[in-house]
Amino acid sequence: MTLRARGYTVATSDSREPLAPRLDEGTRREPNHTTESERQVSDETSDRTKLPIRRPPFSGVAEQTLGGSQPDWEQIGHVRPPEGAPNVLVVLIDDAGFGNPGAFGGPIDTPNYDRIAGEGLRYTRFHVTAMCSPTRAALLTGRNHHAVGMGGIPEASSGFPGYSAQLPKDAAPFPKVLKENGYATAAIGKWHLTPEKEQGPAGPFDHWPNGWGFGYYWGFLAPEASQFDTMIAENQKFIGVQKGKDGEPFYFPEAMTDQAIDWLHGVRGHDSEKPWMLYYSTGCSHSPHHVSKQWSEKYKGRFDQGWDKLREETFERQQQLGVVPADAVLTPRDESMPAWDSLDENNRRVCARQMEVYAGYSENADHHVGRLLESIEAMGELDNTIIVWIWGDNGASLEGTPSGTFNEGTMLNGLPLTDQEQLQLTLKWGGVEAWGTEMMYPHYSSAWAWAGNTPFAWGKQVASHLGGTRNPLVVRCPSRITEPGGLRSQFTHVSDVGPTILDLVGIPQPTHVDGVGQQPMTGASFADSLADANAPEHHMQQYFENFGNRAMYKDGWWLSMRMPRIPWRLDPDVLKRFAPGVWKPDEDPVELYYLPDDFSQATNLAVSHPEKVKELQSLFWEEAEKYHVKPLLAGFAGFFGILPPIGAISTSTYHGVVQNIAPGAVPRIYNHSYTISADLHIPDGGAEGVIVAEASHLGGFSLFVQDGKLKHTYAFLGVFEYRQESKHELPSGDVNVQMLFKADAAKPATPGLVTLLVNGEPVGGGRMDHTVPFIFSGYAGMDVGLDNGLVVDRSYADKAPFAFTGTVKKVVFDVAPHLDDQDEHAMHEHASQSDIARGISG
Amino acid sequence: MSDDKKDVLIAAYLFEDLAQRDFDAVLQLAEDKAITVEGVVLVQKDVDGEVHVKETGDHLGRTGLKIGGGAGLVVGLLAPPLLAATAVGAAAGGVMAKFGKHRLETGIGEKMDDALPPGSGGVIAIYDSGGADAVDQALVNAVKKSVAQIDGMSAKELKAGLAEAQAGMGG
Repeated sequence: MTLRARGYTVATSDSREPLAPRLDEGTRREPNHTTESERQVSDETSDRTKLPIRRPPFSGVAEQTLGGSQPDWEQIGHVRPPEGAPNVLVVLIDDAGFGNPGAFGGPIDTPNYDRIAGEGLRYTRFHVTAMCSPTRAALLTGRNHHAVGMGGIPEASSGFPGYSAQLPKDAAPFPKVLKENGYATAAIGKWHLTPEKEQGPAGPFDHWPNGWGFGYYWGFLAPEASQFDTMIAENQKFIGVQKGKDGEPFYFPEAMTDQAIDWLHGVRGHDSEKPWMLYYSTGCSHSPHHVSKQWSEKYKGRFDQGWDKLREETFERQQQLGVVPADAVLTPRDESMPAWDSLDENNRRVCARQMEVYAGYSENADHHVGRLLESIEAMGELDNTIIVWIWGDNGASLEGTPSGTFNEGTMLNGLPLTDQEQLQLTLKWGGVEAWGTEMMYPHYSSAWAWAGNTPFAWGKQVASHLGGTRNPLVVRCPSRITEPGGLRSQFTHVSDVGPTILDLVGIPQPTHVDGVGQQPMTGASFADSLADANAPEHHMQQYFENFGNRAMYKDGWWLSMRMPRIPWRLDPDVLKRFAPGVWKPDEDPVELYYLPDDFSQATNLAVSHPEKVKELQSLFWEEAEKYHVKPLLAGFAGFFGILPPIGAISTSTYHGVVQNIAPGAVPRIYNHSYTISADLHIPDGGAEGVIVAEASHLGGFSLFVQDGKLKHTYAFLGVFEYRQESKHELPSGDVNVQMLFKADAAKPATPGLVTLLVNGEPVGGGRMDHTVPFIFSGYAGMDVGLDNGLVVDRSYADKAPFAFTGTVKKVVFDVAPHLDDQDEHAMHEHASQSDIARGISG
Repeated sequence: MSDDKKDVLIAAYLFEDLAQRDFDAVLQLAEDKAITVEGVVLVQKDVDGEVHVKETGDHLGRTGLKIGGGAGLVVGLLAPPLLAATAVGAAAGGVMAKFGKHRLETGIGEKMDDALPPGSGGVIAIYDSGGADAVDQALVNAVKKSVAQIDGMSAKELKAGLAEAQAGMGG
């Protein structure tokens, strides 16, 4: 059939009725209302399976002059979606579990999620990939994550197809499909799909959000970000840390919602009919758990019972709500997580506070989604919008270690801290009252995450178990849902979302995009389940794999193959068990579950069903071959000495003021001797301010002038601060200053000696007993000429960003090569590992 | 008071009530004469770094808000300006200067400042070193404990200066 809109006339690809017009039958035109010129368009212009849709041939008349000429107004039209095609809103919450939101029995008040669940459907057997970027890739492409190069994370791009982080041209994301079919598309919020080395003005930009099919983007590209000084990118440019509105401090959840609403208003103001697709992806509930007391205080005392009891309470509510069957069993606590009763009073209280903040942070995210929904409702478009809201791109994160941490960066840098040290450092940065503020980069205890994944075992990273892979999904689509508030139990997967949306809006999956034949989407539409609780399952088989943890699902059977590694352990003693030639994956312990009878994976049937175990093991390898899952642990290749080529460039030069250099693009000074040399002009009367600074007081460095003196501060992850300064004030005029770090040895976290020089003469220095081995910050950028966002040295916080009042002409980083190739290789290996460590938290 | 060195213990807390518990426990030791205490002080340092004395205790385990004697010695070492309220007129400046000089010259001031970050509660006790183990065991809720020392003669002089000032005799 053929549908017409204001722009190009385009046919649907098959005989099925597009589902979208049911949303607004009144606006649909009869198919025979086509013009003569419309009937003459070529196949190329009427086929939505080949994108982009071609502009129709000119059907007017062009004489030598306008005399006798007739325009063809289709020439200035644009592709329009099927008439009546609805808007699409996809909301993705970060790092949260099945047992977190109230709508699924969790302890966190989520009135807006409850509302959408009440007006829509809750899917209780919806699955993700157990990791951030892989889930996002599967969500947006409708395909398996390895099949689109995202078996790992973009920070650890590897030389294997399944782990390259390079979106292949034969896997167009569904937002791009919508855009090419005439939708306005935008992504707002967290991204985490762009290879780190591509995050800069030099690009390339194919893997930025615009390249994935979003006409507009505003948010952060990193795996995580402070919510108070988020380094923002807009479209293809970093625009840095933004100011709050009305004199209030900046807060990312609020700002991203404002941006989303502004975008919607702009689209509708510009075009009264064009449908939109918005991907709204929160930084919450990922670490750092940042929220004002207004939100966390509400939960005061609500977690004093501890995680063991909380799981029981949540489980009881889940069964009352029906999101967990009455015959389900609550899985036990793994011994890697402490019993609540084993904690001393300080730890109990601090841990309770950790969860209060997490809950407030999560409810705040729900609140802002609610603002967005109110805005859509005020525009009169809520009932013409398909809402897909996924609570968690993976299970809740276990990466906070059992004690929780004041600074997640300590875990990412492999810095072992005892429970007592964590308490001391919590005290150092303001105590429990500061948990949730910008003074910390907090992550709660892994045991809270486990409780957030009730009733399942494990959590994020652990693809072998439902704690990492089963998350809440609600869908609202009034025109299709006949049982608002209902439950759905079909096995569904994040890769089903794209195909389902295309199915609902009546746009076919393209066979060709930009001339490239497309991989079929492996996800399956579950659109029929919207109207029918008993609709058949379409997703009968699915593999799971993240960082070596694996599962194979088929027809209700689930084989768990958990790599025996605790998610927060990346130390050599653990990893050596998985080295090439050592690890034999099929010798990992296996667990077998039959999910239709065992919702929570509580009864291991592996011993009694050895043939099923064998069958699913074999099937996993078949799938692994098909979708580029092999080689396992390719995302960890750097840990085993399999490294990308070493770059030959050891100097980086910044002319003038340069801001917002992405963390992955900061000169590789870790574990190296290096110099920072700056050419300055100091006016008569002196100058002050930052010459160059990276990150914050929780990890970073700053070379600055204060009280006339050259100063250098090195923040070792909030644990230690090292400060050096010149003995005398800087002279005026043209001045060269240098900071020379002489590493004791080419080894991770090497100590070393700092020397400050002015015009080549030593003027001060000091020793640093520890240096950061992996990365200062997961999100904060480097700035030349000022210190954007949270500052490195709190002594100038009241003057932030403490812009240099003289002139910074040039700053040169020289990462001195090591003495021999072996040292250089060792440091290169370490740098690669740091990328993995940073990204793994995403 | 002997001329031997005395321990100046600074215990830092995340929670004010837990600091109070430990404060009471140390005073109980003093009351039981299990240790010889110069003074014990319960303080709260606010987020701006200002120290607030919540309670003091003396060598007999008596409590109150009085900043004199051994408790005055503790407070003076921690935050000399707090003595101003207890000394009269020109005497206040003099005694604060003495405490300030001692803090600077011995480094004990910096150590005490570092031991109590803004936002923390604290129990500070000065006692004969022989009681160290008993005190340590009593401070079960402390997140961090630091120990400095002060020689007996200095403590004696500082206490005497404070007493004179409080009596309005010094200058």
